[in-house]
This record gives sequence, structure tokens and C-alpha cells, in this order.
Amino acid sequence: MTIGSYSVRLEKRTLLRSWEAALISILAIVLALVLFSLIFILAGINPLVAYQEIFSYAFANRFGLPLVINRFIFLLLCTSAFIIPYRAGLWNIGMTGQLYMGSLGAFGVLMALGGKESISAELNPFVLIPLMLVAAAIGGAVIGAIAGVLKGRFNINEIVVTMILNFIAYWLVAYMIKEGGAFMNPGGRGESFELPPSVYAPLLGDIPFTIFLALGLALLLYFVFAKTRLGYEIKAHGHSPAAARYSGISPLGISFLTFALGGAIAGLAGYHYFAAVPGVYKIARNYGYFGDLAFYGIICGLISQGNPLAAIPITLLFGGLSVGGRFVQGKLHMSFGVDYALLGVLMISLVAFQFFYRYRIIWTKIAKESPDVGVSG
Amino acid sequence: MQRELLEQIERGETVLEARGITKTFPGVLANDGIDFAIKAGEIHAILGENGAGKTTLMNILFGLYQPDEGQILIGGQPVQFRSPLDAIDLGIGMVHQNRKLVLAHTVIENIILGHPNAGTIMNLRRTGAEIEELCQRYGFSLDLKAKVWQLSEGEKQVVEILKALYRGAKVLILDEPTSALAPPETKKLLGSIEAMARDELAIVPFITHKLPIVLGISDRVTVLRNGRVTARLRTADVTEKSLAKEMVGREVIFRLERARVEAGAPVLRVENLNARSDKGFLALKDISFSVREGEIFGIAGISGNGQQELAEILAGLRKVEGGQVLFDESDITSSTALKRWHMGMGYIPSERVAVGSIGDFSLTENVAMNYYFDRDFCRRGLVDYGKLRRLTEELISEYDVAAPGHETKAKNLSGGNLQKLILARVLSRKPRLIIANLPTQGLDVGATEFVRNKLMEAKKEKAGILLISEDLDEVLSLSDRVAPIYEGEFMDIIPGDEVQRESVGAMMAGSRPEELQT
Amino acid sequence: MWEFLARSLEASTIFTFAGLGELIGQRSGILNVGIEGVMLFGATLGFMAAQSTESYAIGFLVAIAIGGLLGLLHGFFSITLGGDQVVSGMGIWILGFGLTTYIGMPFTGPLGLPRIPTILGVSPLFYIGVVLVVITWFVLSKTSLGLRIRSVGENPSVAEVSGVSIAKTRYLCVTVSGMLMGLAGAIYSLDYNPVWNYNFLMGWGFIALALVFFSMWNPIILLGGSLLFGTLWQLSLNPQLVLPGLLSRYIWRTVPFIITLGVLLLMSTKWFRTKWGAAKPEALGEPYEKG
Repeated sequence: MTIGSYSVRLEKRTLLRSWEAALISILAIVLALVLFSLIFILAGINPLVAYQEIFSYAFANRFGLPLVINRFIFLLLCTSAFIIPYRAGLWNIGMTGQLYMGSLGAFGVLMALGGKESISAELNPFVLIPLMLVAAAIGGAVIGAIAGVLKGRFNINEIVVTMILNFIAYWLVAYMIKEGGAFMNPGGRGESFELPPSVYAPLLGDIPFTIFLALGLALLLYFVFAKTRLGYEIKAHGHSPAAARYSGISPLGISFLTFALGGAIAGLAGYHYFAAVPGVYKIARNYGYFGDLAFYGIICGLISQGNPLAAIPITLLFGGLSVGGRFVQGKLHMSFGVDYALLGVLMISLVAFQFFYRYRIIWTKIAKESPDVGVSG
Repeated sequence: MQRELLEQIERGETVLEARGITKTFPGVLANDGIDFAIKAGEIHAILGENGAGKTTLMNILFGLYQPDEGQILIGGQPVQFRSPLDAIDLGIGMVHQNRKLVLAHTVIENIILGHPNAGTIMNLRRTGAEIEELCQRYGFSLDLKAKVWQLSEGEKQVVEILKALYRGAKVLILDEPTSALAPPETKKLLGSIEAMARDELAIVPFITHKLPIVLGISDRVTVLRNGRVTARLRTADVTEKSLAKEMVGREVIFRLERARVEAGAPVLRVENLNARSDKGFLALKDISFSVREGEIFGIAGISGNGQQELAEILAGLRKVEGGQVLFDESDITSSTALKRWHMGMGYIPSERVAVGSIGDFSLTENVAMNYYFDRDFCRRGLVDYGKLRRLTEELISEYDVAAPGHETKAKNLSGGNLQKLILARVLSRKPRLIIANLPTQGLDVGATEFVRNKLMEAKKEKAGILLISEDLDEVLSLSDRVAPIYEGEFMDIIPGDEVQRESVGAMMAGSRPEELQT
Repeated sequence: MWEFLARSLEASTIFTFAGLGELIGQRSGILNVGIEGVMLFGATLGFMAAQSTESYAIGFLVAIAIGGLLGLLHGFFSITLGGDQVVSGMGIWILGFGLTTYIGMPFTGPLGLPRIPTILGVSPLFYIGVVLVVITWFVLSKTSLGLRIRSVGENPSVAEVSGVSIAKTRYLCVTVSGMLMGLAGAIYSLDYNPVWNYNFLMGWGFIALALVFFSMWNPIILLGGSLLFGTLWQLSLNPQLVLPGLLSRYIWRTVPFIITLGVLLLMSTKWFRTKWGAAKPEALGEPYEKG
């Protein structure tokens, strides 16, 4: 193909340097933002104004910023939950169901230890909060492990299984918090009972301690993949299950472990939003919205190419965009679901850029003397 | 339109000619000014080692590649192939070594795929009749309704030949036609080839070894070396030895000196082993044998007779139906692959790219495949990558692996170098039992020699080696004991000194030892 | 009771169309996990078009068109760009899920048009579905086109040297595939349950995907599976017909999904596995690279 006085050619890559990979990811985000501005244009809004509002609300506003941080924590946990199986070559799109089960686990423990009795129940946070965390992790791990075992032992497509489990978990939560379910709020508003203040998560300003959990897990994951035997086994299986098996790495073991760990982390995300974020402190009526947000974990995971550290700035950015988007939707009288639209647009941009991970564009200047030979593409 | 070119050619006239074919790939001059011509009714073999340029020339003649320079002429007219489709339309048919067939479909469906006369609704009866006629003419016997995956290698090749013939091929290019065949099937194929030549088809077999085949049926031979034609000979004028010399450029040693080592106690004992293949039928029937320290036990057979299943069972990658596997007298029949590595077993798999290595991993990470669990390299769950890097560098230099460095990705290594790396990785663990599954497959002469020498060295260090190979000469020259395998059974187990080449060959094809005692 | 059965058949129609679309795509070697996304687009845009123009025909046509377009998009990523088909499929799903939530919001609520007249109490689309299944079966197993499609899905390099254009065949299949999926979505929003709500497909696209695996790529078995699931789904909505008062209605909603999991588990048994492994298009999900 010829463009001007250059011939342009596509060539398969043999090497992808990390700065090249980072550049591609950044370009993908830029493209997504450009596409997203179309949504604003179609609603009759100047995109630059919209973006300015979004970013200033998200990062420079004292109400917006804590919301963004809380969402960032949630997204980082979901992304980490996606990344672990992703490095093993497996698709975990069940973060939604895993976080639902995690929140059921946490509230289950709470109820078992008297948290439902009265809102002013004096419970020991040092006992209860760790227990809730553990229960949340176990809840997510169990539902995750189902997908892991079905894949590892029976080779059943994990995308279908995790999606199905998402729906099953969704209805299970509904069963528990609505119409006479065990966790139902005594006021009967179709949501769960409220968390007694004695077991509110400790805050740093407006931010719950879960921020340390999320950041710590991301760092830990990075370390695991870079230095440990487990990380090596996961990566090997991700690249070539047959070669990994030859080396003594068990496909069932990897599948089970990665989905259980991923599920556990997603379960913690459930604890975070329903038991740690100020102002919520219950399994909300619109819990499905948070479940939907978990799908950002897939996108952030793909953009960060499975690198747990890269996920940190990326989830922060998308936390800001989705919260800011919601705000702008209200302020500029747009239709509901702007953050959903962003989700969709991002994904398509990402998919398009997948192409650039595998191919390079080669520009060669055509010598002026020779006739214009267009190199066939 | 151009079909008529071929219709008019009679016996003895040049039907296909290549003039000055030159083709370069990045960094490699694959074909350098090659001239070649074949006449109708002639069988003209093209000989050359791996890397001599045979594959490139073959793909050019078939239309898969376009030459940088040079011309192809059919019936005296220059033609240009933009794709294999053009070549097929002009009457050039190709039979590939790695069977280009859809295994799940029937023979007829494979033959009429993409055929211009297939019609919108397939008329299987008429097509079947026409194909039957071709079979009669050239002595093929085939169940047209069978699914291709059920056929033997020889039968699969017949399907490809029929496919080319059904599309009107007048020139047949055969890629290593006999490499995957047992001797009786080879004989049948050669008979059919001669029948086709009598019918004025031109046949061009491309061959790496199996020199006797070349001598058996071809009229003329063209030898390629380093991308150039180095000899054009009439078969009547050559011998096996002179041909080999032309191919390689030096005297080729056909037999390796087998080292004499005192064999010790059995490292491996297999008792009454039965196992199923992936397709469900019994791949191994009551196999019993042992491999001793300091011994090379060679299994000779055509692929597909149970060797792969046996290797996988021994490596811990497949379950048994019945029987026992004992390593140093302890029962490991249900032990995991990891345990076997720990116990001192080493497996060199036949599929070096898909199983033996991880293409996207660096060489260090590939070496780690057999070391990540090793207590010296992994402590408290942490892998010592520094130590692994040093080990990798040692191995690269000791085994002469051509690579820029330990950070190179395995997929950038050539076949020979990758195999050397795998060998280095496995042998450096000093395993007591080595299972070498097709260790020299697809390697050039230099790499092959290297691998065989390394196996000999391991034997001298008292390792027990189970060698699985399709190359009869390789098995015979390396092994202390030889077991021909056919349809999952060992026909016999013969000490190296008593082995006779012809009888082993016959047993590989199914003859029982009793039948051979004449 | 008849009402229940009729509704079951109508529900099954949606599974049939969506599953048939995916089956055709998969037989040519293209895996699309984003069925739900295509269905959502077809359902939403079809709904919007039908409501605005008060014409069912336009609604269905728009759905078919957008489905075909999405099929082409998926084809472009998978065939021409040779990308990861799972990523592309997921992209389409999330795009669908995200964008339709946003653009469909103003249309939340009932369609407001007179229902499509039924034949023998069942929607005419059901009969069309059955006919399409038979046609698909015939084309795939008895025609040259069908042989070409199957070969492309089994072993593209063989098909190519036999003169078949991989790209053309796959593009054709993936476009038809998308059209059927878009139509399936429109059937849901225009005929089966003509009320718009965001994410109202509730996972049907993924059940359709599971059905394709279950059907072993045989259109007739797919039809059977669709009928089964249509019935199951209706049952989960009306458990009182079979087991009144037994469980919470929320638990009943999980039943079709649990059964899907059970079916998938059943498929992994040895007997099923050898048959299934034999039926699976060898090259499914792998991008084809020339030479």
C-alpha cells in the first residue's frame, strides 16, 4: 500500500517490547475516549466540556474524589481477579457472580454472629471484620472454583460456565435479600439488613482500609508472577498447556487454583462495596449495577495485558471516567447509562488494538528515482 | 484454455520445465538458478538434504510461492502461478508429506472438495463411480465411504493422489512419498507410480533419504545442494553411495560405532502393559520389556503403531488400561509426571514445538521447564532465575545452540537448535532413564549426528535409554537391543549383534518372526 | 396448559435462531462468544425501529441488518486481522451490553403495537425457525457449499489448496450468523416479550452458546435442545404449573441455568466426549494464516 511517498506494509511481530506494548494500550485508551466523545456529540454536548467536567469532578472535587477512589479499589480488585486466570490462559468473566457470593458470605457470617439482630449491636470489629473478609474470600473462591474444576477436569468452556454462574448468583442474592429472604432488611425494601456501625470498616479520611488490601494484592500478584514457582507454573500453562503438562504442571491444579484465587479476590470486592464503602453498608437494592461494573475488570485486565502493576493506573483512570461519566450524565441531562456506553466503547477500541500487538506497520520511503513501485500489501 | 497445452503432449516430450529459478528469503538464498525439466511418462526424482532448497522448489512448482527470478514452462509455454489454484488448473498436482486432508470427512468428500464440476448439490454416486475407475486403472483399493481418519498412512496418500488425478493432473509432485510407509505399502505405491508413468503422467518425487526408492523406480535424478543443482544423473548410472556423496558433499558414514558398555540392572521394567489410544482402540497389547543401565533399547516401527502411547505412559502423561511400570523396582504406574522427573526419568518428546518447549518463553524459561521444581533452583517457593540463567548459558555453549543469548525466545530457534536445547535441558539432569521419542525427526545431518552422539555419551554414563525411531538405520546402529513394534505388539526383542535389517523391516510391517525363519 | 406450551415454543424459537446462527459460524471455524451482544443490538434497535415506524417488518429488517453488520465486524477482526476470536466476541458482547443500555433507556417500556397474529396459537416465527433448521441441515450436509464450509472449519489449509477461499466462505457464514442472531434478539423484544428493559435478555445468548456445543453442531439436535430449553425457561417463569409453591420464584429462575450446567457436565462424560470430539470443527477459534 502506498501513502504519499511512503510504502506502508504490515509485518508480523517477532518481538514486543514493553514500551511498545504500553504505547499500544495508551493509544487504545485514547481511541476509546475519542469514540466516547461521539456519545456526547450525539447528545448535543461539546465533548471537551464534558471531559473537563468529568475529570474535574473525578479528581478535583471533594465529593467526587472519594467516590472515584472507592470505585478504583473495587475495579482494581476485580481486575486482579481477572488477571490471575488470564495469565493462565483462562477467561474469568465471573467476577460478578463471585462478588455476589462474596457479599453473601460476609453478610452470612455477620448474621450468624448477631449482626442482624439490631443495628446498634455491639460487635467486636477486630473479630468480625477479618471473619467477614475471610467469608467473602471463601464465598468468591467457591463459586470461582466450580468454574475452575469444570474447566480443568472436564474441559468445559469457562466463559459459558462463569456467565451462567453469574446469573445463578444474581438470583441467589435476590432470593436472600428480597421477599422474605434470610438477609432481608426488616424494613422490607428489597435490600439486605444494614451493617451495624460497630463493624463499619475503618476509614482513612473517607477511604476504607480496603485500599491497602487492593494495592497490596496487586503488588503481591506482581511478585508472584515474577519470582515464584506458582507464578512460573501459571505462566507456563497459559502459554502452552501441553508443554506445561509435560513439565509436570497439573492442568486441573492450575485451573482450580487460578479460579479459586481470582474468585476470592472478587469476593473481597463484594465485601468492599457492600460493607466498607461509607454510605452503603448493605447489599443494595441495585446490587446488579455493581455486578455490571465488574465487567470493567475484563477491560482493565486486557489493557494492562495481565500486568498487575499496570492495572493500578488503568483502574484509577476508569474509576474516574465511570464516576465522572455518571455525574456528567446527571448534570448535562443525558440519558441513563453513560458509564455503560463507555464500557462498550472501550471494549471495541481494545479489540481493535489487539491487532497491533501482533503486527507492526513498516514505513519505507520510496526512492524518488525509481518508478513509483507500490509494494503490494 | 491452457489445459490444451497438456492434452497435446505425448510421451517423451517435456511437459514441465523450470528455468533459472531463484528465490530468496530474508537472509537465505533458498534456490539459486535452478534448471529442471521433466518429460511425460518419466519418473524424475529430486534429491537433497533438509535445507538444500527442495521444499522451496517444490512449493514454487506448485504455486505456493512465486520465484524472484526465472520461469516455469508448461508444454513449452511460460506460465505464472498466482496461487496453487492456478497450478492445479494447469494440471500440476501435489501430494504433501503432511497429508492435506480433512480427517473428519469421507474419502469422496475430500476428493471433490472445491472441484469445479462438483455441482451445487453433490452427486456422490456419479463421483464415486468415476473415482472407482481411476482406482482400477492404477491399482488402488480404497473404501470411498470411509472417513479419512480411519485410513492408514498409505491409504491417506492414495486419497491425495486420487484427488490430484481427479482434477486432471498430468504432473504429480510427491513430497517424501515413502517416508511414512511400511515396506509392503511402499511396494504397492511404487507399482501404482509406474502404472501412472505408463499412462504418460510425469511423476516428480522429492526425497531426502530412502535412497533405495530413488534407485528403484526413477528414470533420472537431479540432486540439490545449498540451493543449486549439483548433479543431473540417469539412475542407471548411479549407486546408493555415489548418490549420498552428491547430496552431502562428502563421504557419509551410514553406521555409527556402537559403544560397548557393560549393561547393569534394569532401570525400567514394563509388565503386560495395555493401553488405549485417543480414538478408543487398544494401542498397546500386553507389552513387556525392560531397559537396563548403560543400554539403549530401540523400538523400531512406523509411527502410529503404539509408540507415542508407550512414550506418554512412561512419561506419566497417559493412563494405562492394565499392567505395571516399574522404575528401579518401585511401581510408578500411577505416579504423576512430576514425580517421575524427581525420581530421575527424563523424557524427550517427539513434538518439540508443541510439547517440548514454550515458544514465547525465553531460553532460560524453557530450561526452567525441567528445573522449576528442583530443590537447587527453587527454594521456599521462589525460583532462582539468576542461577537458571547461568545454567542456560552453560548449556547453550556446551550444546552449541545457535542463539543470540539466553533471552532469545524459543520460537526463534531453528528445529535443530531447539532440539539441542531440549536435549541439553533433559540430559543435564543426569537422568537414570531417558525416553527419546523420535529425537532426530526433521533434523539435518549435522544436528542428527550431534543428538546421536549425546545419547551415546549418556549411555556410557550408565543411563538406560529407550529409543523410539522411525529411521531403521538409526535404531539398528544405536541400539543394544531392538524391538520391532507393529499394531501395539513387540514382534520380537533381538540383541543388537543378531539383528538383520531385512527381517526387522519385515516385522515392522507385521510379519511374525516365525514366518521369517525359512 | 396449551398457552404454556405455545409460549415454550415461542421461547425456543429465539434459542433456535441464535443457536443456528452460531452453529453456522462455528462450522466455518469462527467462534463468537458475544451472541448476547448481537442479540441485544437486534432486540434494542429492532424495538426502537418498530416502535418509531409502527411496523414490525421494519423492526425485523433493522435487526437483521445490524446483526449482519456486527457479524461482519466480528469477521473483520477474526478473519482479516486474524485476532483472538474470544476477545472480539467478548468485545461485541460488552459493546452491546453497554451501548444498548444507554441508547435504549428512553424506550423503556412496552412496545405498544398489536401482537403478531399467531398460527395455531403459536407465533409464525416458530415455523420459520423449523424450516430454517431443515434448510441449514440440507445445505451443510448435501451441497458443495456445505462441504466447503465444513472443510474451512475443519482444516482451512486443505480447503485452500483445493481452491476454496477461506476468507469468502468465513465472511459469508459470519454475516449470515450475525443476521440470525440479530433476528433472534428482535423476536424476543418484538414478539415473545415486547417490553424493553436494559439487559433484558438475561443470559439467553450464553445459553444459546452452550446449546451449540450440546448440539454437536447438528442443526436437528440444536432444534431439540432449543425446544427443551424453551420449555425449561417457561417453567422457571411459571413454576406453579408443575410444582406450586415449592420454592421461591427467584430460585426457579436459576433452574434453566443449573440445568445448562448439568447438560454441559453430561457432555463431558466419556461416551459423549468421543462423539463430541469427533464432531467439533477442528479449526474452531483459530485464525487462519496463509502458507
